[in-house]
Amino acid sequence: MTARQLVSPERIVVAIVVVVVVIVCATTPQFLTLNNTKAILASTSVVGMAALGLTFITIVGSVVSLATAQSMAVVAMVFLAAQSWGLVPAMLISLVVGVVIGGIQGLAVGYWSINPVVLTIVTAFALTGLATLVSGGTTVNASGDGFKGLNATPGGIPLSVFVFAALALASQIVLQFSIKGRQIYLVGENRLAATSAGLPVARVVVFAWAAFGLLSSVGAMFLAAFNTSATINVGGSLTFDAIAAVLTGGTSIAGGRGSAIRTVIGVLAISIISDVLLLRGFSTGAQIAVKGVLILVFVVVVQVRAGRVAR
Amino acid sequence: MTRWRGRLRVETVLPGVSLVVTLVAFVVAAAAIGRSISPYDGYNALQGFAQLGLLALPLGLTMIAGEFDLSVAGVYALAGMLTVQFGQQQPLLGVGVAVVTGALVGAFQGGLIARFRLPSMPVTIASYIILLGVTSFISGGLTKTYTNADATAFVDQPVLTLFSPRSLITLALFVAIGLILSFSRLGSELRAIGGDRRAARASGVRTDGLLVGLFTASGALAAVGGSLLSISYSSANPDPGIQPLVLAVVAALIGGVSLAGGRGSAWGLLVGAVVVALLSQIVIFATLPGYVTQLVFAGFLLIVIAVDAPGVRRRVAAYVDARQLRGTRE
Repeated sequence: MTARQLVSPERIVVAIVVVVVVIVCATTPQFLTLNNTKAILASTSVVGMAALGLTFITIVGSVVSLATAQSMAVVAMVFLAAQSWGLVPAMLISLVVGVVIGGIQGLAVGYWSINPVVLTIVTAFALTGLATLVSGGTTVNASGDGFKGLNATPGGIPLSVFVFAALALASQIVLQFSIKGRQIYLVGENRLAATSAGLPVARVVVFAWAAFGLLSSVGAMFLAAFNTSATINVGGSLTFDAIAAVLTGGTSIAGGRGSAIRTVIGVLAISIISDVLLLRGFSTGAQIAVKGVLILVFVVVVQVRAGRVAR
Repeated sequence: MTRWRGRLRVETVLPGVSLVVTLVAFVVAAAAIGRSISPYDGYNALQGFAQLGLLALPLGLTMIAGEFDLSVAGVYALAGMLTVQFGQQQPLLGVGVAVVTGALVGAFQGGLIARFRLPSMPVTIASYIILLGVTSFISGGLTKTYTNADATAFVDQPVLTLFSPRSLITLALFVAIGLILSFSRLGSELRAIGGDRRAARASGVRTDGLLVGLFTASGALAAVGGSLLSISYSSANPDPGIQPLVLAVVAALIGGVSLAGGRGSAWGLLVGAVVVALLSQIVIFATLPGYVTQLVFAGFLLIVIAVDAPGVRRRVAAYVDARQLRGTRE
């Protein structure tokens, strides 16, 4: 790495932002407390799992899913409805549902090259319609209380935080070291070249979408356990939160570049900033606006930097 | 397959057939529940069109140019709030503040996107979040009431039975943009930068200036829509959610615009917005359960995908081209 790369304008911007955030955090009362750290971690885990899943489909070149919240809401509803069969069967069913929802979309994108943005809009409508039809539009309540195990807090830290950390590590290992992981980057970087090189492009795309389904459905189970009941709207703003996290971490929207670790950094950065703004007594609107400005700064810096590297 | 056949297939046939199907569905639905269609249904559908149109038009225009301006939903919300804030006594002042703000927001985004050759989706998602935050900050997170009843009565008064000043303004903007794009180079230039930006630049299209102009227009148009909605509803909602945005994308796709860019027209967008408004109106007057709307839109979009399916090979080529182009732009 040359000296010029070390002090590139993008790095300077990132460094300034980081220094400012650190100073603001350090001078905020209550920020450097154990309880606050726990609060940040807890708020990170569910959106973090969704964002980890999204990382796979962004890297493979499928841009983003606009149906993240609806997919997770459906899995959450299934998870709660299946509680009467016991916790483990309910978890397995939920994972299967999540992987199937993701996998079917992967088939359409992988084999027919359907535009993922249109496809996920269809998915969002279809899932909302079907979920309302099946549930009769009513709230799904837990049919047993096995799910409460997911709300455990070993060592005072929510179980979901440990699961998120494990999933992040596993995702990073799969992306960085497995053959499928390397193929995901290649397909995302240049689908035509990957096809020419004889890679099983369609299967790689399906794998990435199934990974999204798997990771987001784990998040959905914790979401269901926190809420103890679910409607199709239980996902709230998860769709955009997950996209913001992936982009803030620096995964390129054009595909081929990014990592699970970057997404973890993105999720943590957004949580920390939201937390500081909350502690400093900013109104909800101001919190959202500042968060948006920081996302914009990171997006511009990261995408400009990605462009430099590519050139 | 020749170029014009491909264009005839999607750009003209898709909106045309959708409109016919929807009108037939409208009549059939009315007959099925034994209810005659009154001019009031037309008025209502056009009011729905006015609500959706000024999201679909700006978003669709950016899609034609190969961009994706998600911030229109944020501008729409902020413009509504600014209109309420500044337009209680003087409605035009409120609309003016909103439109200028929308244009400035758009110009800023267009400048960023053109200057740094950024993909527009991440930039406009960030702006969308900022704009919702600012809107919520202004209103304290609450819905604000617009008390100028005269202005409210004015924008929604029936004109020639079917129309209202609100729907007429929306229609006029569609027609104006449609005429400008059809009779100047701008229309083909927009499609050119959407289809193959490098080639467009090489052929002398001022892509950067065009992008800034496009996003500025997009912001201003969305602001007009948001302003009119607030005046009509006598209130401004700090968070309208993403449903209106999604419906705008649906309208653009039904209107024959492709997400890959390079295809579509303002006329197609007009038809797309009318079709979505009519579909919503059918569900309302037939008192169908809400989930039917969702399934109907999912079905319609599946048809859009299916219509494009014979061109999968071509689409793959376009997709790869666009990606390679993006690779070189970065």
